Amino acid sequence: MIPERIIQTSDLTKKYGDFCAVDRLNLSVRSGRITGFLGRNGAGKSSTIKMLLGMIHPTSGAGTVLGYRIDDPRQSIEIRRRIAYVGEDKGLYGYMTVAELIRFTRSFYRDWQPEMERRLLAEYRLPPRMKVKALSKGMRTKLALLLALSRRPALLILDEPTEGLDPVSIEELLQTLVGAPVNGTTVFFSSHQLSEVERIADDILMIDRGSAVLDMPLEQIRENYRRICLGFSTAPPHLESILGIEKMRCEGRQIVILASSNADAIAQVGRERGAVDIQVAPLSLREIFLETVQERNQQDQRRHLEHENALV
Amino acid sequence: MLWYKSLREIRTVTLVGMAAMAIMCALVVLNQQTMRAHADAPMTYTAYIWKSVYNSFGRDMFCILAVILGSGGLLQEGTHGTVGFTLALPVSRSRIVYTRALIGYLGVLAIAAVPIAVVPAVSRYVGEQYPIMQNMGFFLLWAACGVVFYGLTFLLAHRVEGDAIPVLLAIPSLMLYGVLFDLPWFSHLRMLNIFQVINGEDMPFFNESRHLLVTPLPWLPLAAIVCVGATLIVLAARRIQPLDL
Repeated sequence: MIPERIIQTSDLTKKYGDFCAVDRLNLSVRSGRITGFLGRNGAGKSSTIKMLLGMIHPTSGAGTVLGYRIDDPRQSIEIRRRIAYVGEDKGLYGYMTVAELIRFTRSFYRDWQPEMERRLLAEYRLPPRMKVKALSKGMRTKLALLLALSRRPALLILDEPTEGLDPVSIEELLQTLVGAPVNGTTVFFSSHQLSEVERIADDILMIDRGSAVLDMPLEQIRENYRRICLGFSTAPPHLESILGIEKMRCEGRQIVILASSNADAIAQVGRERGAVDIQVAPLSLREIFLETVQERNQQDQRRHLEHENALV
Repeated sequence: MLWYKSLREIRTVTLVGMAAMAIMCALVVLNQQTMRAHADAPMTYTAYIWKSVYNSFGRDMFCILAVILGSGGLLQEGTHGTVGFTLALPVSRSRIVYTRALIGYLGVLAIAAVPIAVVPAVSRYVGEQYPIMQNMGFFLLWAACGVVFYGLTFLLAHRVEGDAIPVLLAIPSLMLYGVLFDLPWFSHLRMLNIFQVINGEDMPFFNESRHLLVTPLPWLPLAAIVCVGATLIVLAARRIQPLDL
């Protein structure tokens, strides 16, 4: 029985010394869906995934995958028995051949599906006798995917799966991922390729500085997120923050608002405050991502520069 | 199948080590006439084999190979980028570590067993005889003392990253240990000096004039040595448990 919330964390925190990689993260991933896990480099995506898999230990907080606790070593084995993981570096044993690695991996899973293995082997055109270390990065990714998908796992976790793949392989991979929920596999994947995420994800989870900054179905994001530009004939008035306003900035005689909901009401407020030109436009995932993290990125860069200068 | 992974990891070192040990043993036996003729004092064939195989080249080669075989494990996998794949398997870290330790030690045993086959066979070829029971006895001494060489490197390999660093740390540590136990203060603890136990030198179970092991072997000290080696491996497994990899 797969729980409705296949991944759940509560105040999950991971600190490396003074650095907080994951900061009281609360996330909830629905089963049977494809969830895109977004964030800048160093936002805490890989640390979160590694905590879910029991590779690193949470500093505090709790989490469950398929109802099993991630901080319990025995339950963590059960998690790994039921899920599949394709890591960021696709580090596979280079000294084994493709066939040997498949045989090795197969031995750990009772639910291995030989016909799926054969199908993917042919589809990905993987040479069984070739050493893994001789495979290109793209072929290694395909092999990692074959090992993950030959079991029809309840949950497939992928960390940057399209990295190093050519466009044709990316397309094949995306098609595979899109079809996974039909076979009962929930997909949770991190990526920097926002256009890919936008194409296949049902839900979006965005984190920054270790905390969730956006957790919403993509459909809802498309429906609700708007950029509202309020043009004034004189200096723009001060607008108080109302429901739905995520960010607001002044650009000359214009106020630019990033709204996560309530766009009509916000536009109406602008009109009442004397806006002569009101533009409401939908946003792409890329624009939302940049709006959300760009300012923080600049803050981080400034802080880093100050730190460097202090050292000099 | 974890054993298979471990086996593949140690296969090359073990096979190369076995081949090197076999070649060394064969060369020692084949050159016995020349070497014995140039010795300072007349030497029996038994003494020659002991001095060449069990008290110098062979023993030193075995120690180094045991140390090299000990340098592996999850921390080293981190350097090679495969640790994520290994840790994603549905097995405990302890099982991964103990399987690697056991298979690695079987590699140590395989290298230690080479002289049992090579020395008597090549001795017969050159018209000499070396008692196989002596080879068996030294195999047991190497097997027991090898656990410590292997275990120490195994522990170091689970504490420090890098392929060569555990080996580079283990070799001087073992040399220091050997030097310490050569000091007069430790003369009454000679059974704890594995460098003497491994070849029988100055030991009550070794006949110095005939250069032969005399039964019985010191089972209790050997068991204690094995326990020390096993403890080092347990410490390695415990060390890896809470690590973020």
